[in-house]
Amino acid sequence: MSRQDKSIEEKTTELTKLVSWFDSEEFTIEKALEKFKEAEKLATEIEQDLSALKNEIEIVKKRFDSE
Amino acid sequence: MEQSKNQIIYNVSDFIAVLNQTLEYAYPTVQIEGEVASFKVNQNKFVFFDIKDKDGSINCFMTVWQLRMPIEDGMKVIVTASPKLTRWGKFSLTVRQVRPSGEGALKKSFDLLKATLEAEGLFELERKRPLPALPKHIGVISSTNAAGYIDFIKILDDRWGGMKVDVANVQVQGSGSADQIIRAISYFNQQVILPEVIVIVRGGGSADDLATFNDEPLVRAIATSRIPTLVGVGHEIDESLADLAADVRAATPSNAAQILIPDKNELIKSVQVQIKSLLPKVLQALGQQKQNVRQQLIRSLESIEKIIDRQAMQIQSINKILSQLDPKKVLARGYAIVKGEFNIGKIIEIETIKAILKAEVKDVTPR
Repeated sequence: MSRQDKSIEEKTTELTKLVSWFDSEEFTIEKALEKFKEAEKLATEIEQDLSALKNEIEIVKKRFDSE
Repeated sequence: MEQSKNQIIYNVSDFIAVLNQTLEYAYPTVQIEGEVASFKVNQNKFVFFDIKDKDGSINCFMTVWQLRMPIEDGMKVIVTASPKLTRWGKFSLTVRQVRPSGEGALKKSFDLLKATLEAEGLFELERKRPLPALPKHIGVISSTNAAGYIDFIKILDDRWGGMKVDVANVQVQGSGSADQIIRAISYFNQQVILPEVIVIVRGGGSADDLATFNDEPLVRAIATSRIPTLVGVGHEIDESLADLAADVRAATPSNAAQILIPDKNELIKSVQVQIKSLLPKVLQALGQQKQNVRQQLIRSLESIEKIIDRQAMQIQSINKILSQLDPKKVLARGYAIVKGEFNIGKIIEIETIKAILKAEVKDVTPR
């Protein structure tokens, strides 16, 4: 699944993982810059996705005033 | 029926029928307010009571299923009914709806129904289901003209997007409103693709306006919905039985939207905070590593210094030994170096610290 296909929830989970990597034992200076750039890009995408999302509101055609 | 001297003569049944027709034409539906007396239920199906005031009393009849809220003697009610003369000549009201009138009666009815439903376990915490964390499809039941609905949708749009929101437009107060909401609950529960949650919202109003949400069949429909329910009716201080039966109760329609979905602006802020928190971590790690390298260098230099010191000491000690072995030092202690053949008559060279002597060997005694 490409990143474009991922939901905001999935991207948020991915970002949380990336952020926690910085506090993990796997952290290395060599990889930190690459991971930081990745997290920054993901954060921008989440922000854009959230701003672009609109609700689709539909009034049900059925009438409820009689059986 | 006969006609005599312009005067109609009815038989009894016809007269009753004509009178009922007249009543039906003149008063198809009447609403009468009065106090309940002689309330009784027969065969668990038929309800009989009188509605009275200071000077009058009328018999009332209705079926149990039409009785939406509990009533009892002494309670002030408004009945919606059609007047009718029975074939035994007894005048009565055929009641379609009875609702408590005035705060005291509403409260009494509320307390009676609440106690009944509570005893059945309808409000038990164990029955409550969690709402989906981030619903993608929700069913809303409200009046699209109501302020509460408009508030709910506004907050919903402000907070989150990408949801499919199906709205069942119903009456949220007055006669028939409870049935409309029940039909809407049933409609959503029968869809092929079920909404993940049903939200019932209505803004504030008088106790009488909100009485719809204390309707027994409606409360039961909310409690038995297979889709989890969120009810946000009235203001924070209003408590309805619908609230108690719902899986989750919101204080107001706006609060219902807040409970249902997270705020995207807060999420954006949180994401930005997370990113901002990373840079200091990297810088701290870099600083830490610099310090580590510096300490390693210091340790290496200290080791080298120690090795050099040790070797210098060794050299010093060797020099001392070597200096002990210097022939001049031996001569200085009084010894002499003798060179030449140790045979009688041979000339040998004797070196002392002060002079070099030549001497002839006179005698050789082997040891």
